[in-house]
Amino acid sequence: MKVRRLLVIALACLLFTPALALAGAKTITLWYPAGDITAGAAHFADKALFAEFEQKTGIKVEAVGMDYDTMQQKIFAAAAGRNIADILFVDDSWMPGFLKEEMLEQVAAPKAKAWLDTVSPEIRTLSDFGQGQMWGYVQYGIDVYGLTWNKDQFKEVGLDPEKPPKTWAEFREYAKKLTKRDAQGNITRVGYAIRHVGQPHGVVHKHFWAIYGAGAALVDNPLALRGGKTMINTPGGKAALQLVVDMLDVDKSTSLNFPDPRAAFLKGIASMQISETVSIHARAPKEAPDLKWGMALPPVPKAGDRPATNLGGWLYVVPKLAKNKVEAWQAIEWINSPAMDYELCKKYDASPRYKVNWDKEPFKSDPYNQALKQLYPYGLKLPINLGFNGVMEATGNAIQKSWHHEASVDAALAEAERLANKAIADAAK
Amino acid sequence: MSSHGRGSIRKLVARWHARRIFHAYLFIAPVVVLFGIFRVAPSIQTLLYSFYKVELLRGRFTFIGLENFQALLTDEIFRRATMNTLTYVVAIVPISAFLGLVLAVLFNAEFRLKEVFKAIYFAPMVTSTVAAAMVWWWMYNPQFGIFNVLLRLVGIPDQPWLMSSRMALPSVIIFSVWKTLGYNMIIYLAGLQAIPPQFYEAATIDGASAFGRFRRITIPLLAPTTTFILIYNSILAFQVFDQVFVLTGGGPANSTNVVVLDLYRQAFERYNFGYAAAEAMVLFLFIMGITVLQYVYSQRYEVSY
Repeated sequence: MKVRRLLVIALACLLFTPALALAGAKTITLWYPAGDITAGAAHFADKALFAEFEQKTGIKVEAVGMDYDTMQQKIFAAAAGRNIADILFVDDSWMPGFLKEEMLEQVAAPKAKAWLDTVSPEIRTLSDFGQGQMWGYVQYGIDVYGLTWNKDQFKEVGLDPEKPPKTWAEFREYAKKLTKRDAQGNITRVGYAIRHVGQPHGVVHKHFWAIYGAGAALVDNPLALRGGKTMINTPGGKAALQLVVDMLDVDKSTSLNFPDPRAAFLKGIASMQISETVSIHARAPKEAPDLKWGMALPPVPKAGDRPATNLGGWLYVVPKLAKNKVEAWQAIEWINSPAMDYELCKKYDASPRYKVNWDKEPFKSDPYNQALKQLYPYGLKLPINLGFNGVMEATGNAIQKSWHHEASVDAALAEAERLANKAIADAAK
Repeated sequence: MSSHGRGSIRKLVARWHARRIFHAYLFIAPVVVLFGIFRVAPSIQTLLYSFYKVELLRGRFTFIGLENFQALLTDEIFRRATMNTLTYVVAIVPISAFLGLVLAVLFNAEFRLKEVFKAIYFAPMVTSTVAAAMVWWWMYNPQFGIFNVLLRLVGIPDQPWLMSSRMALPSVIIFSVWKTLGYNMIIYLAGLQAIPPQFYEAATIDGASAFGRFRRITIPLLAPTTTFILIYNSILAFQVFDQVFVLTGGGPANSTNVVVLDLYRQAFERYNFGYAAAEAMVLFLFIMGITVLQYVYSQRYEVSY
């Protein structure tokens, strides 16, 4: 009888001890996009990511993966339901929507200043929402768009595999040479793959280099939250859209049948594409291990023009309605410290944020990271205008209409200008 | 309350109790309560929201009267979405009803493996729209999709399908016809089997041809079934969302944007809940109008036997 009683007590202790231990620890939640949407988000699946922090503070970080396509909507619905995560890991292009709703906690001014003073210039660009205001911390491994090309295919058509096209004229010439057709004349490999379907945001992202490179802009003042106007219906904007129309119709060096530039490039059915370099770097070893590829700035309209490309990043933010704000900031500050930046970038083969870490190995002599450094100075942050969603939709639709020959470039951009300015005005109300 | 009033209430309760009205209400109460919570209340809330500027996060509701509806009148994207929705409805409802009828007539005869083929035609109906749309997305893929492979075999050049502003909406319609065909076939089949065979026998004796019998007997006697199919399919077609969301996301260039997708975007991407509610009310009026119209018109062809 005694033995049985003892066994029952021991079992009860075994069952209750972990429960009591857990009850003592505070758990905070972090929402991130599941899948390989961004290289950095995949790290949250690593249970060891916050292990040291949890051990030091007794605060447990529970990372919850969400579907990328509906994540923004779920965040908003959760906020409206007053039941939101403590930390959100969000795409910087979502920020205007969140700011419009005054949904986020602002980073305290002294902390923002300290961060902006110690990170590299491109991280500063992405973090600063005007006059040193910050709403979150940019994660390591930021994205910069670049031209990537297949070196073997360059060689195959007699092009120097180490010399990418620098101007639009060269770009068109190279793309023509690289295009391959079957016996019936159907294109089996495009010289340059274009993104022209899916969310208008994605379409604009992939053509941002040409729009900004030609002197046009989505919004006149990128750091103004309210007001302003679009600069898309300008000679530069028209030239940027016309470039692809000519490649489709005159050169026939691209096609509407290759809608995913990155996938087409990795499959070897597109010789050049312009998109997230970090994505190609992450995917190539798995999907195209034999691919020899180069990375450079996108071409410019004419020699001497300044190249332009888009910088993008993911941020750790804290919603105003989070239940554990203090602990959330504690976890964010821990993972974004210079020491963790170095450790995690080394572990996950990502590019660091702090100036001091760029001077350390392996980043100092890593060719990929050094190549990225060449692109960063030309990277532009997306506008933070509260009507930005509408601007992107209008511009994306104009691109699609002109490339699909549903409207002339002039008509498509005139409509885009009208709709984008309306979106800016509506958002400012 | 007077004693007379109390007495009559007591009598009423006793009468209801005797007639077991309470029992009846008790049995249907779960459905009524759930329907009220999840259907009626949100609908009333949507109606109210349509007259407000709704800022959910700030908990701020500003009455703006008909401003949301006025803005809809000048909204080019909403206009496009409405036109696309109408095109979709006008295309899918008659096509899927007609093909459903053709299949039902074929399946009304006896032949080998009839049940297997019936199951094959009905299978899309019980398949998840999202899952089926994902498969069709690949089938429509210009490079690797089965449709272009088949076109190549007969010497027709590749088509861009969902990638083209012109072809995207027809491509979505083709998918939706495939998805709804089986259901219409089953309903028509039930309608056909309810027609008394004596009518056909009498017509045959009178020398009516097969087409004559179909035109003079089958079509009129199927009128109630056709009414049901047209109304049911119209309501579903006006609410189209899943397949558009998965196949095209409303693009390219809004060429497949539909009202429900647009209101979803207004609500959850632009956070304009009041405006989205106004769109929902307009859609509701469309559906109600078409339903009433079809119902009233179909009364002319109502038959009984």
